[in-house]
Amino acid sequence: MKELVEAIAKALVDNPDQVVVRAVEGEQVTVLELRVHPSDLGKVIGRQGRTAKSIRTILGAAGMKLKKRLTLEILE
Amino acid sequence: MLQPFVQDGKIDRVALTAELRRFLDLLLGSARFELAYEICLRDSVAAEDAVESPEIEVVFRGRDQDVLLERNAELLQALEYIALRWLRLDPHFYDHVRFDSGGYRALRIEELKLSARVAAERVRETRQPFRFNPMSSRERRIIHLVLKEQPGVRTASEGVGEQRQVIVYPAGKN
Repeated sequence: MKELVEAIAKALVDNPDQVVVRAVEGEQVTVLELRVHPSDLGKVIGRQGRTAKSIRTILGAAGMKLKKRLTLEILE
Repeated sequence: MLQPFVQDGKIDRVALTAELRRFLDLLLGSARFELAYEICLRDSVAAEDAVESPEIEVVFRGRDQDVLLERNAELLQALEYIALRWLRLDPHFYDHVRFDSGGYRALRIEELKLSARVAAERVRETRQPFRFNPMSSRERRIIHLVLKEQPGVRTASEGVGEQRQVIVYPAGKN
């Protein structure tokens, strides 16, 4: 799922080369840390947080399939 | 905003469909959803009573169809929204692309049309405003469209973000 989050973020931002996703693996949880260029933060969060919420919804459903809790942290 | 898939005010269907496939294949491959999809293209000129006329429709089928439709199709709508952002479409074009599964959208539109008519009737009878539950801009638009020709009522949207809702007022009353 790291690749998917990275691809989504790269598609949304103006500085795709500045997108970094790091997966921190726990036993039952994987935290996906997303870093983008500061000027692109709004693009990955979206109006009223809708983009971030949609990505989290996708991760939530994918986590059910992969039997692992997937959490997205957007780092500022 | 740069819109790579819009030219002369029209969607470049071939290029957009190819990019949509790239997104969907990556998504289904990564998340292992047991879903297949079909992209249907149609003329955007639709029947007169149609409130939505998407020219590009992605229809999902498969064992995980139910997962898409849980909680008012939360996942289906999230996928659609991310796809629209991925494609860098201007919001003006959002209703040209639609994601669906198991006929959910058509059913939902019928439900909204019916709710709108019932609400209008109630407002005409009681002369009191009626407040719908918060809904997406796409769904609010349907309510506005259905009620714009109805006598004795007018509609407005109020609230911010996910709390934005349609209110039906008796005509001539604020």
